[in-house]
Amino acid sequence: MSLNSLLTTSARWSRAALALGSLALFAGCDLNFFKMDGPQSTIEVAGPVAREQLKVFYVTCWVTFVIFVIVASVLAYTTIKFKARTQAEEEAVPPEQGHGNPLIELGLIGASVLALVFIAVPTLKAIWYTYDVPEADKAHTYTVNATGYQWWFRFEYPNEQIDNVGPLVTANELVVPAGRPVHVNLRTNDVIHSFWIPKLAGKVDMIPNRGNSLWFKADAPGYFWGQCAEYCGDSHAVMRFRVIALEEKEFAAWLAHQKTAARDVAPAAATAKFASLQLKTDWKKNEYGYTGKLDANPLQAWRDKQQPETNEDPALIAQGRAKFKEHNCVTCHTIRGHDGVGTTAPNLTHIGARSTIAGGLLENNADQLARWISHPDVVKPGNHMYGGIGAMKGYVDKDKYGKVLKTNISLKPDEVVALVAYLQSLK
Amino acid sequence: MDATVKSSFTEHGAAAPSKSFVLWTPTAKTGLMSWLTTVDHKKIGFLYGVFALFFFLVGGVEALLIRLQLMVPNNTVLTAQQYNTMFTMHATTMIFLAVMPMGAAFFNFIMPLQIGARDVAFPRLNAFSLWTFVAGAIILNIGWFSPEGAPNGGWFGYAPLTSKEFIPLHSIDFWVLGLQLLGVASIAAALNFIVTIINLRAPGMTMMRLPVFTWMTLITSFLIVLSFPAITIALVELMMDRTFDTNFFEVSNGGMPILWQHLFWVFGHPEVYILILPAMGIVSEILPTFSRKPLFGYPIVVFSGASIGFLGFGVWSHHMFTTGMGTVATAAFAMATMAIAVPTGVKIFNWIGTLWGGHLKMRTPMMFALGFIWMFMIGGFSGVMHSAAPADAQQQDSYFVVAHFHYVLIGGSIFALLGGIHYWFPLMFGRQVSDFWGKLSFWVIFAGFNITFFPMHFLGLNGMPRRTFTYDTNMGWNTANFISTIGALILGVGIAVYFAVMVYTYFKGKKVGRDPWDARTLEWSLPNPPPEYNYAVIPTVHARDAFWYEKHHQEEIAKEKAEHAKAEDAHGGLHMPHQSIMPFIASVGVLIGAIGASYHHLIPALIGGVIMFIGIYLWSLEGADGYHLHLDADGKPVDDGHGKH
Repeated sequence: MSLNSLLTTSARWSRAALALGSLALFAGCDLNFFKMDGPQSTIEVAGPVAREQLKVFYVTCWVTFVIFVIVASVLAYTTIKFKARTQAEEEAVPPEQGHGNPLIELGLIGASVLALVFIAVPTLKAIWYTYDVPEADKAHTYTVNATGYQWWFRFEYPNEQIDNVGPLVTANELVVPAGRPVHVNLRTNDVIHSFWIPKLAGKVDMIPNRGNSLWFKADAPGYFWGQCAEYCGDSHAVMRFRVIALEEKEFAAWLAHQKTAARDVAPAAATAKFASLQLKTDWKKNEYGYTGKLDANPLQAWRDKQQPETNEDPALIAQGRAKFKEHNCVTCHTIRGHDGVGTTAPNLTHIGARSTIAGGLLENNADQLARWISHPDVVKPGNHMYGGIGAMKGYVDKDKYGKVLKTNISLKPDEVVALVAYLQSLK
Repeated sequence: MDATVKSSFTEHGAAAPSKSFVLWTPTAKTGLMSWLTTVDHKKIGFLYGVFALFFFLVGGVEALLIRLQLMVPNNTVLTAQQYNTMFTMHATTMIFLAVMPMGAAFFNFIMPLQIGARDVAFPRLNAFSLWTFVAGAIILNIGWFSPEGAPNGGWFGYAPLTSKEFIPLHSIDFWVLGLQLLGVASIAAALNFIVTIINLRAPGMTMMRLPVFTWMTLITSFLIVLSFPAITIALVELMMDRTFDTNFFEVSNGGMPILWQHLFWVFGHPEVYILILPAMGIVSEILPTFSRKPLFGYPIVVFSGASIGFLGFGVWSHHMFTTGMGTVATAAFAMATMAIAVPTGVKIFNWIGTLWGGHLKMRTPMMFALGFIWMFMIGGFSGVMHSAAPADAQQQDSYFVVAHFHYVLIGGSIFALLGGIHYWFPLMFGRQVSDFWGKLSFWVIFAGFNITFFPMHFLGLNGMPRRTFTYDTNMGWNTANFISTIGALILGVGIAVYFAVMVYTYFKGKKVGRDPWDARTLEWSLPNPPPEYNYAVIPTVHARDAFWYEKHHQEEIAKEKAEHAKAEDAHGGLHMPHQSIMPFIASVGVLIGAIGASYHHLIPALIGGVIMFIGIYLWSLEGADGYHLHLDADGKPVDDGHGKH
């Protein structure tokens, strides 16, 4: 290759690289996607179960990579070496019409089987390890029950009984002790869902009439993203949840607070007028529902949510509580100690202390809460708060084609503000 | 318009036997009626191909819409419901209406030619398969034009999401009935191919001399016959649940949704091999031809195909590693899945062995075949990764799986099928696709495909779940999704170029003579396009790669043919089957009945059933007779005035 053509070639390449680079800039994206360090990464793991699964993955990667390099080199070499480059070569006397070599073939079959043994052994070990908590750890395993609903998760703490009520129940945010194995019993209320916290453990399905379970352990306190991983209808994509792992003391404090009834705001607590707050209303469909604060330090953001808001307005909150009853929210939701005995929808007793709402879809703040309860159908397509479920009526009655037949609930802007103030106060 | 119309035979219609009016024997050789009544395996194969390519484009448009929605986070191109419909129909269309029928097109067109037969064993059943397939395709897609909507329960239709409680619309019924008809069509066609391959081989064509493509046709047909009953049962149960309120999957009355998954995947995993084995067969034809030497290790390639088919029935639950099967069952299915990698790997070794020492002619079909090996290798390796069940717990239902099976199904099946079209185009239509444009389309498709699907591996490992209509901007998935969509657009351009070139070639391409590739199997011994009767004289086979042998023993073969021609003429000439409208009528009945059933209306369902029954009854009254042809020295039929028999 002459110097000249080399220059032209390299110039062409750098132009192409520039074009590609500017394309990436145009999209406003970083080109580090191969790092795979997102909040649902299966590579940057935070617990022994996910780590064991990752180890097996790396074994498969290395074994297949080595085989790939060998086979691909031979294939590339063969293709280049035996390529007919001229018409004369193409039309030359055909090569020897051989039909194969049994020894080579048996050898290759043997080698393939051997390579698979390298994968099979760690696979078998990990199948047993990931299936259940190791014997040594069993004694201090913490058990929770998770139930999938279209499109949210209900979490029940069978060992945390509340007098005259039953076990502690919460939704969409599973708070667990860090450093302890957690055993999760997986059930579903309707269709098949799948329970997946990528950084802590691979998924296990929630299947009707089937008693599945999984276990995981968080190495350290942290905030983890979870997601339904089995297609379950309209809003499957936005059926998410969070796992918050806390050290033992903080966890115990959290449990103790959760067992208390819903919080009442004393009139004296008033410092600012909530009603004067301007809530954003011009949401676009599917618009991103988070502020940077939660992304920057999610665990801290979650802890902040445990504290009362600074702008609580007792009058407004009282109004919100009345609206909550008036609009029949109580038929499906429960706010223990206040109103409602509904079980078909998330328990809202301490909703104000959660970092997310709408099944982990939106950040829990006044703006997003207003967005969610004003237009639940836009935020979460097909959801049952809007369309109703079974005999429980939602915002509207729909026919089976989704056409609205009758409106049951329509919230005026000031009602939304009151409801938001009330729900935010439920720490 | 088609291959056979161009052949010299078409002007010579054989006189129809005069029977009663209802048993009218159609003789049209051109026009609509010739297509509706045809029993010629080549015409039927051509029609399968046309429908398959049409639905391939439909499925491609659905895929592009999916990619556009996911191009950027929080996007609003499609609503959630539209997106869910789109991925359901994309998968269903590509699997059942594009890749399978494209395989069937090749089975029909090529396989009888490869074994030296004049048609398939049951020509009218073959027509019935075709038209029932069309009926199934219509029902699957009818929802687009109805307020019920197109199916949206996922191509796997997991119970209980598909029950009336969760999806009350008839969209699911269209899916149930559509798949059911496609199953009928596939099973009927597969039985036909099995009988054809077992019984209609030319003299000397022993099983171990069968071209590998025919072998894969045979194995695929067995897979169809054995696996489709499982989904047939599942679909019947679902239909009963939806139509008659039975309780197979009805949880509140003790139904077992997990049963659906077992039945579905007992079908669904062999189905994967139904999609890939024909592709392996095609590649095993292309590579020897363009290497100018026989397939390396023919018996091992054949037996590995058979063992893939066999093991394919023992690995279904690797689709269910996350359903809580317990340790032992999970381990057993993980080991079985690893085992299936061995015969698959063996094929790759043998293809490389075929290339080794050859004179590789880098024409378009060869490019697709080589592309197939590379891409299938990558898809195979990510498959091995899935077999490690603990790793799969993270990958299941993530984009990693999406990347894996597109490497197998596009990089594998589609590449081979696209290469096969290039390869056999001269035989089918007598014209050859420009090598420049063919290779150009290959490289664009190859680049677009990899740009689309390689980043999905990273997306999956970074925790992006499948079947999600939107994702948030903070998940680290933006770049890979953007690149992937750009790739999909490039892939779309590549496919568009490919088909534009094909259409151009069909009408205006360079005409070529017999055997333009210096090929090895019998079909290339025919003039192109092949005459309706295929072989003027049924060939006698002396070796594997029968036509290669003929070309190198011309004198001996010429003498043998002359003798056989005389003998056959003495027997009354070439025996040909009559055309018939009855299979079409029966399929129309099936279509009407299935539409009625999908709306849960008894009367139209019964009417459809009656029409089908009448069609089949009259078809059986037609009998199995045909007519005889006599050929002159140029291979043209001589009208001797007593064509009837």
